Amino acid sequence: MLKRFAFAVALLAATAAMAENQLGGLRPDTPLAEESEAPQIPAVVNSDVRQVRNYPDQPPIIPHKIDNYQIDLNVNKCLSCHSRTAVEASQAPMISVTHFMDRDGQTLGTVSPRRYFCTQCHVVQHDAEPPVANGFLDVDSVLDHIIGAGEEGQ
Amino acid sequence: MTDMTRRDVIKAQAVIAAATAIGLPIPAEAQNLVTEADLTQLNWNKAPCRFCGTGCSIMVATKGGRVVATHGDSKSEVNRGLNCVKGYFLSKIMYGEDRLTTPLLRKKDGQYHKDGTFEPVSWDEAFDIMAEKWKKTLAEKGPKGIGMFGSGQWTIYEGYAAVKLMKAGFLSNNIDPNARHCMASAVAGFMRTFGIDEPMGCYDDFEAADAFVLWGSNMAEMHPILWTRVTDRRFAHPHVKVAVLSTFTHRSFDLADIPVIFKPQSDLAILNYIANYIIQNGAVNEAFLKEHVNFKRGATDIGYGLRPEDPREVNAANAKDPTVSEPMSFEEFAAFVSEYTVEKAEEISGVPAEQLEALAKLYADPNVKVMSLWTMGFNQHTRGVWANNLVYNIHLLTGKISTPGNSPFSLTGQPSACGTAREVGTFSHRLPADMVVTNPDHRAHTEELWKLPKGILPDWLGSHAVKQNRDLKDGKINCYWVQVTNNMQAGPNMMQEGLPGYRNPDNFIVVSDAYPTVTCEAADLVLPSAMWVEKEGGYGNAERRTQLWHQLVNAPGEARSDLWQLVEFSKRFTTDEVWPAEMLAANPEYKGKTLFEVLFANGQVDRFGPADLAEGFANPESEALGFYLQKGLFEEYASFGRGHGHDLAPFDTYHEVRGLRWPVVNGEETRWRFNAEHDPYVKNGKPFHFYGNKDGRANIFALPYEPPAESPDAEYPFWLSTGRVLEHWHSGSMTQRVPELYQAVPDALCYMHPDDAEALNLRRGSEVRVISRRGEIRVRVETRGRNKPPKGLVFVPWFDARRLINKVTLDATDPISKQADFKKCAIRIEAV
Amino acid sequence: MFRLLKRVWHILVHPAAHLSLGFLTVGGFVMGVIFWGGFNTALEVTNTEAFCTSCHEMRDNVYEELKPTIHYTNRSGVRATCPDCHVPHQWTHKIARKMQASKEVWGKIFGTINTREKFLDKRLELAQHEWARLEANDSLECRNCHSMESMDITRQSKRAAEAHERFLFTGEKTCINCHKGIAHQLPDMHGQAMFGPTSDAPEQMSENVEASGSAEVKAYLKTVTE
Repeated sequence: MLKRFAFAVALLAATAAMAENQLGGLRPDTPLAEESEAPQIPAVVNSDVRQVRNYPDQPPIIPHKIDNYQIDLNVNKCLSCHSRTAVEASQAPMISVTHFMDRDGQTLGTVSPRRYFCTQCHVVQHDAEPPVANGFLDVDSVLDHIIGAGEEGQ
Repeated sequence: MTDMTRRDVIKAQAVIAAATAIGLPIPAEAQNLVTEADLTQLNWNKAPCRFCGTGCSIMVATKGGRVVATHGDSKSEVNRGLNCVKGYFLSKIMYGEDRLTTPLLRKKDGQYHKDGTFEPVSWDEAFDIMAEKWKKTLAEKGPKGIGMFGSGQWTIYEGYAAVKLMKAGFLSNNIDPNARHCMASAVAGFMRTFGIDEPMGCYDDFEAADAFVLWGSNMAEMHPILWTRVTDRRFAHPHVKVAVLSTFTHRSFDLADIPVIFKPQSDLAILNYIANYIIQNGAVNEAFLKEHVNFKRGATDIGYGLRPEDPREVNAANAKDPTVSEPMSFEEFAAFVSEYTVEKAEEISGVPAEQLEALAKLYADPNVKVMSLWTMGFNQHTRGVWANNLVYNIHLLTGKISTPGNSPFSLTGQPSACGTAREVGTFSHRLPADMVVTNPDHRAHTEELWKLPKGILPDWLGSHAVKQNRDLKDGKINCYWVQVTNNMQAGPNMMQEGLPGYRNPDNFIVVSDAYPTVTCEAADLVLPSAMWVEKEGGYGNAERRTQLWHQLVNAPGEARSDLWQLVEFSKRFTTDEVWPAEMLAANPEYKGKTLFEVLFANGQVDRFGPADLAEGFANPESEALGFYLQKGLFEEYASFGRGHGHDLAPFDTYHEVRGLRWPVVNGEETRWRFNAEHDPYVKNGKPFHFYGNKDGRANIFALPYEPPAESPDAEYPFWLSTGRVLEHWHSGSMTQRVPELYQAVPDALCYMHPDDAEALNLRRGSEVRVISRRGEIRVRVETRGRNKPPKGLVFVPWFDARRLINKVTLDATDPISKQADFKKCAIRIEAV
Repeated sequence: MFRLLKRVWHILVHPAAHLSLGFLTVGGFVMGVIFWGGFNTALEVTNTEAFCTSCHEMRDNVYEELKPTIHYTNRSGVRATCPDCHVPHQWTHKIARKMQASKEVWGKIFGTINTREKFLDKRLELAQHEWARLEANDSLECRNCHSMESMDITRQSKRAAEAHERFLFTGEKTCINCHKGIAHQLPDMHGQAMFGPTSDAPEQMSENVEASGSAEVKAYLKTVTE
């Protein structure tokens, strides 16, 4: 009993020391031992507005809802708009030529099965503010800096 | 603590961050296309991906000292140009704006204080206080009073340096990697069945198999690039079948020809049923068994790895000695599994008999090459080692092993779970190259290679991950260093074990990380680390492929690699302070030397000069030391495995190729071990040789179904399974800082069946408390997401620092592997 | 026995001697109401979600799949139940559909889809029936709730608005042409058209060729498809 009491006191002291978060980060406000209200599930961005890519190699994000889109052994719902033959009716962007290539870089007659599950690379975006900003600079910004620095040097 | 001082910390950090940033202006509108070659050309180099154990090779573009682009390496056999969504966003993982750029120490009135406020300090001050605490504890309690928790994300060099520092320097085996939470059951499974760790097959099996069986692995989300290879095989070759087993429906079921939902823990019964089916239907490969296999009966009723006073441990017959086994005959084994009829398996697992039979037929059909794949569903399991043993049983009974496409394959979750945690031997019981601390020959061999006095290495079993937290709480470990892992978020039972342990006033906790994680928040000293391509590194993936990379950009501010931290810290101790006097008296040549001199400037690690450094790549650690530290560590480490079945190629080779699969003998990698056609270590003149065991045979184990440590009851009526999501890696400390990945999956949700929600008067979006006997969290309900649990089970991922689901989980472990079961505990759900 | 039948026949063919015409008229009316009411009530009972999902074939397959969809839960809490989409609302059509459904009773009795596997094997055929029916009635059950006239396309996403303007309002396509699989999982769609009329995917290419291609190409395609 005494031992349990001593432990309770120690735990209380320990949690008191954690009364406030100091380092910010992804859990900026709620002390580790406490719980805060869970934010509501945010809506999926459904603007259909294409976003700038961070670099050409980045897969574009999906600017619309894909709730319940079926991509399985039976059917690929995404391709019903984004396949080569569908884009005239859908006016959606066609999947890129890389999606026709097999492991050896050979272009196949149809979409390469290794690219079948679209959501492994392409994701929707939710209307949620990231808790931490990201300072990545794209290559244009870096080039501007290099060119700017060069001009200053002259 | 006052608000004032808190603000000061943030301000100080901001100032340092500003001073160290390269100060790029806000981009002006681009006037016209820049076309000059010297401007537009990017500096492309290879590096393995920072995330999972798949080990994709990445091409990384740098310009102006920054990473500006990444893509899948088309020359890599692993991924052939592909990445998953996380991999495609690697370019951004280092640029979260709250990078740690200076050491931070809890202080009150200018002094370290457990309840103090974090203040920026110099590296010198940080190492001073650390050394002071370490020396005090070592003097008072000896080597058992200190501990280290590392990672399957450590580079090979870092893990190797850490093991040396802890085991040979501080003479403490209290070092364990977070891979304990991830791979320990797989390791113990390999050691028990084959006597040597890691898969016999390789990823080439994906293109050769006729059937894939996922045993507790959601590859579609957790190993997306390997899943592209399964998908490719399945769609391009319609005869191929995919079976997916899980306790809930997830994305991998989208490709399932045989979708199987089983009751938690009942995989053991299904595995035994398949073995029985194989025997009953004459599908046993008798010639293979005769030549290559032993049968053993393992101990049963082995407990659940809880604290020893727990009634579940007290009442278990073999909790103290769970690993023992005795030989048995094939007939005895057949009798043992004969009780696992299809009816019994159906009853225990809840899986319809037709599905069980369809599954068993894949294995029994001699013409179907089967690849079995598993990750945490097997490994995070209080009978995880058994599950590993039982799947090998099936492959061994049919002889479907070590040939292209016939492959029981344990996947790994971390980029160097194999390369560092396992091969280097950073576990509390291990030494490099599968050796163990309890074996005197292994210790002697290690002492020789490390040029240490005979008999110096400790022979006791160190504390494993879960026990380290218990030891911290109990005040048995007082100095603790955590590197490259976020165990406050990742470890089980945070409220009863993890947090009280870190905040125990007797303890001094040091955490090295690139970002302020919740583990940093619980620490007393935070050290800023360089990450990924900010340092030179090496990883080893799940198919035994070792990959090295060069440093490509500089770390921000005062951030330094974990390797530098380990080596610098070793300079602050002399042998006189940490080695027994009698040992030094018997070996006077070691007297008065620093641990740095004994461990790193030992004539081996320091034998490659600056001339060996590759041109065009920074290497601040080696430049400061005057020798090529990483190469020296690698070559010394490689001396353990060369000639012993773990041969690595020369260091420089790995900077040219996209990795090689060990053993690399005469410049050739090995794709299928134990197979005479492929493995130069097969020397028995037979087609197969399981040379990990002295008798050259693999072991089939008779092991039963036993119930889990905690099951739902009236008070806690739901199962809780935890896990990952595709878009976030592990605790999310990197991926949650990439805006695109954050916005793809911003919050952890509680996935549950819509009928369960309705019965509790809940709906999608309702806020609930997930409550166990140990803790609770608040989280929103999801009834229509990618994971579709059956009634009675909920799934909550653990990537979200704001929803710490490990407050709820149970710290039961597999008694053999000591790996925690994060997939099963009992909870109740209450509306907030 | 024969005498009994003869007597019954006699009563039936001769005018009632003891009952008034009024009683007969009123009684007939009342009985008619009771029988008709009973029939209709029974009919309506079969027209509920609870009835449909009382069979495990429906409950474990299509109903389970409905649960994560927009037709089960949504912003305003209006749920489309099974008959809303699968039974015509107009009486005569409803009766016709119900008579067809008697075949489904046989299916139930003989266990045509009483396992998941059997259901999956049959699912394409079953889905094609529904697609064909909805195509034939211009997606009537969709339009019972989603009428063109009531659609405010400014409340739709750009993509949806454009598609509706181009295909729906022009009458070029009907709802089901684009919204297959909206409430249940799709069957194996290899060789099936995701968009447009059902079951003519292979011919679609030939149609294109017919418009522009030569006889030679047509002949070639014929040999390939055969």
